[in-house]
Amino acid sequence: MKSFLGVDIGSGTSKGVILNVPDGSNVYHSILSGVDYRRSAEELRKGLLKKAGAELEICYTVATGQGAGLVSYANEKVADLRGCARGVNRRFPAARTVIDVEGQSTQVMRISGQGRVINFVVSEKCAAGCGRFIDIISNVLQIPIDEIGPLSLKSDNPVTFTTACAVFGESEAVSRVSEGVPKEDILAGVHSALAEKIASLVNRVGIEQDCVICGGGALNIGLVKWIEKKLKIRLIIQPYPQYVAALGAALIARENMVSK
Amino acid sequence: MIFIFFAGIDLGSTMTKVVILDDTEHICATVVEHTGAEHRKLAYKVMEEALGKAKLSLDDIAYIIATGYGRINVPFADKQLTELTCHARGVNYFFPGACTAVDIGGQDAKGLMIQNGKLLDFVMSDKCAAGTGRFLEVIAAALGITMDDLGALSAASKNRVPISSTCTIFAQQEVVNHLSKGVSVEDIVAGLHDAIASRVVRMVRRLKVEPEVVFTGGVAKNSGMVRALADNLGCPVLVPSEPLLSGAIGAAITGKEMVMKAQAEGRKLETGMRKMGETTFFQQDKV
Repeated sequence: MKSFLGVDIGSGTSKGVILNVPDGSNVYHSILSGVDYRRSAEELRKGLLKKAGAELEICYTVATGQGAGLVSYANEKVADLRGCARGVNRRFPAARTVIDVEGQSTQVMRISGQGRVINFVVSEKCAAGCGRFIDIISNVLQIPIDEIGPLSLKSDNPVTFTTACAVFGESEAVSRVSEGVPKEDILAGVHSALAEKIASLVNRVGIEQDCVICGGGALNIGLVKWIEKKLKIRLIIQPYPQYVAALGAALIARENMVSK
Repeated sequence: MIFIFFAGIDLGSTMTKVVILDDTEHICATVVEHTGAEHRKLAYKVMEEALGKAKLSLDDIAYIIATGYGRINVPFADKQLTELTCHARGVNYFFPGACTAVDIGGQDAKGLMIQNGKLLDFVMSDKCAAGTGRFLEVIAAALGITMDDLGALSAASKNRVPISSTCTIFAQQEVVNHLSKGVSVEDIVAGLHDAIASRVVRMVRRLKVEPEVVFTGGVAKNSGMVRALADNLGCPVLVPSEPLLSGAIGAAITGKEMVMKAQAEGRKLETGMRKMGETTFFQQDKV
């Protein structure tokens, strides 16, 4: 059976998806990118093949993400926005707006029914506009990253953050902790601040339903609810949200192979 | 001969500064302390320290002006003024010919257009840690060096590495990446200084920048930043002997001018309640 590989070498983690392993399922695998993207790309492929178990014939590979140019075994590279749009479209053909919240950037795009990007905005200059902000505050509060979202929804009295900077926000969180403010109120404030920034990005490209959220941020149910609150719409959560660009790359690999 | 004394207290985000002047504008005492959470509540302790140094009591001070972020937390002050007004006046004390001042503090950066000690216009950035002293603090910590090392390290750089991230958090990561690729600490530090200077200069250029240009604030104590700022502005940059004190000195001088003006008009300038004691965060005691 012919298999197709999509890899997404991101700034934080590298993700890979193999389509069409012999039992008909897909294989997902991720590792930390570290500082040597070339090596992480090699290790990612090894890890994927090991997980797949069987001998595979990978006949086409598409790379995406920040380190796409460093994947020696890729036949082709595509922009991560394109991979992401393709990945969302595969699962949700009715999706017209995609919110992709990652560790180091947030992008919002409008896509067509064919999974093509029509328009997009990216926020990548500031840690307070992406998942990193939540990471930093969860460190201050010493709460595991998968608990903070649910906890942020338990607050009746969210703290207002007066700054739009992750560094200053960290100091503010420390001050609130020392004043004895409950952790859930601080977390609610952080999620609300980040959701506000993301909502303003969404409003810049204009929203059209269905709206899908993906990227690692989609794993945080608190963040999803806070964005829903700001946008006053329901969001659809992409399954395996952090793999969406790699999945899209694999889908593009299959299309391009077939067309050749 | 009777001396009259004036005090200025500048409660900054990072450092608290007190200056006591006599009527000849001679500096009698100065105190610089970390603001921290404690001193924000206990501003009077810094004041008492300054009075002790000058061998004076609170009643000897004709007028006290508080300035800076935390100025409303100073219940013993007779008046509060914005730090911009006081900086303009303080810069003029050090350099009477100053037309432009750049002040980089622990949590903000300002550009001031000054004429004879009066503030004409200003630009300010306090929304983001990039372009402030905090940027250097965070990254120095990541590099395991102290703020005092920065100047000498950047002077030893042979091949400055550009820092492309705007955000302090991302820049910290970029620095770690440079380190792992074997870039020397000197070249990284020089790149950091250039990154801050170019950001601040871009902001200050919104004003009309005219010489003399004076650089104040805690970051001005770093010789590497002074060089980087001069390079980016394309003109020499003057640094006062005490770059941290311009706000507090400006406050004290403004106090003196107010008292002198009142005397000339035959009025007596009323002082405040002069309450020495703990205050709560950003809450002024009701009189």
